[in-house]
Amino acid sequence: MSTSSERPESAVAGAPAPSRLRRVVTNQQFVLFLVLLALIVFFGIRNSLFFRTGEFSNLLTDFSGLVLIAIAETFVITAGGIDLAVGSTTAVTGVIVAGWIQPLVTHNVNQAVVLLVGTAAAIVIGGLAGGFSALLITVFDLVPFVATLVTYSVGAGLALVISHGAPVGYNPSAIYWSASGVGMVTWLVAIVLLVAIVLGVVLHLTVYGRYNFAIGSNEFAARAAGINVRRHLVSVYVLAGILAGLTGMFFYIRSGSGAATTGVTNSANLVAIAAVVIGGASLVGGVGRWAGTMLGAAVLTVVSDGLIFINVPPTWIQVVVGALIALAALLQSFRRRSRRMT
Amino acid sequence: MTTTETRQPVLELRHVNLHYGSVEALHDVSFSAYAGEVIGLVGDNGAGKSSLIKTISGVNVPDSGEILVDGTRRHWRSPHDSMAAGIETLYQDSGLAPDLSIGSNVFLGREKRRRGLLGRLGFVDQTSMEHEALEHLARVGITIPETNRTVSELSGGQRQAVAIGRAIAWARHVIILDEPTNHLGARQSAEVLKVITSAREHGLCVLFISHTLPHVLEVTDRIIVLRLGRVVRDAPTKEFTVESLLGAITGLNE
Repeated sequence: MSTSSERPESAVAGAPAPSRLRRVVTNQQFVLFLVLLALIVFFGIRNSLFFRTGEFSNLLTDFSGLVLIAIAETFVITAGGIDLAVGSTTAVTGVIVAGWIQPLVTHNVNQAVVLLVGTAAAIVIGGLAGGFSALLITVFDLVPFVATLVTYSVGAGLALVISHGAPVGYNPSAIYWSASGVGMVTWLVAIVLLVAIVLGVVLHLTVYGRYNFAIGSNEFAARAAGINVRRHLVSVYVLAGILAGLTGMFFYIRSGSGAATTGVTNSANLVAIAAVVIGGASLVGGVGRWAGTMLGAAVLTVVSDGLIFINVPPTWIQVVVGALIALAALLQSFRRRSRRMT
Repeated sequence: MTTTETRQPVLELRHVNLHYGSVEALHDVSFSAYAGEVIGLVGDNGAGKSSLIKTISGVNVPDSGEILVDGTRRHWRSPHDSMAAGIETLYQDSGLAPDLSIGSNVFLGREKRRRGLLGRLGFVDQTSMEHEALEHLARVGITIPETNRTVSELSGGQRQAVAIGRAIAWARHVIILDEPTNHLGARQSAEVLKVITSAREHGLCVLFISHTLPHVLEVTDRIIVLRLGRVVRDAPTKEFTVESLLGAITGLNE
């Protein structure tokens, strides 16, 4: 570096940017997109029924049950935290809301009113659950892993106590509405996707999202830059709780009742975290993309549904999910290494 | 520096005391700093340098004493208050968010918003931030071709240059640099010292904290020596040599 260039070394950006081709090929979203296409083609070839619109509609619905908590985890993880509670928040919200609005259902109140009241209640309950995690983290200084594990256990336990282990409420009109829509997109799915898109915009285009990444990247720098870190973290866990609550409402509408098993027996919290990791986010925070999480959730949905479609026992699904996570992690470490080499 | 006594100090500390529990971190610290002046702040480990800069930058709240900025008494409770008063602090090693772009880092905590409704909804104006970040950095002699690269892709010296550039861009009165040449090679250190000189030319007061005494002697106008939480020397740099400065820091020559 002893060239007699006029610009001193520290004053210019050093290495040239990696070549465009290399950046595209090692781009996690691009690879995921190819994986998603390959999976759809694979399942389609193995069983042509996979391409029927009915199955795509099922895929979209299953995707919708995962995508909100996956986005919740994206906010939390890119801010440098983790939220293990979303699965049981989904369950506890489902059973509480189902119990609360059942009198409205039995008195034949207008279904739109019933579902809107239920949704409002789900937001409040989910927000309180997230607020409880936030309290443990910001006031009692518990690490997010432990704090949200507490919330998870309390939520899973409460859901069982409230429901006595049986489905709560019965609302056939909700199930009927959940299947209505335009083409293969139900109204329910459309609403979930709209919320998902709004959250993507918030994460990547607003000051709120910028603070989220800054805190996850270097909490001290964020604080030194005048960002109210504590307030932001509280809002992130409350947001995650609200999204888990909305997911609880989603499953209530689909099944017409609330169950303590929803989101708990299938470890929805871990599936959501898997979607985020597969999507290319770093578990230490600061790095992650909304599009990556969307693709990660899509891949997980297609794999879970597709394996059942080609008669693979459901017990194998978790093994495949594990392999996908490993693949995503390998891709990340390859990307890091190729960046360091340039 | 003889004329400075008649001017208003841009930063003044009067009898500042700070305790951490029963530990006395700062004892009756008083000094004045003027615009266009580079002040070296030196002392052994535990002498109170960190406590002092954290007090000036609003991380610590002093137990007693006064802080005046531009003649006005200030009382702040957080780094935000200190920044609002025109003081920027560059902490050792940890001033930037490595996963964000250079532009986003320069504007961290001061994000530009888009015009109109979108801006009120919190939308950031990324393009103009990247553009203005280039200008901010260029003004203090730091040229970076693309600001949309993340800080993690820069070398240590480049990161430090961006961090200092950001501090200078926002500081109205005082800029505090905590060990800015730490972990840097000779060549990169020279660049950082040049940027400090450029801050003085912009009429800022620079508080320069360093263990590297030759750097302190090279770039400062005045040196304040701290020992055990007290100011033990406050004199023009030309009165010091490396040996006498070392003596003042350790107290061995007294």
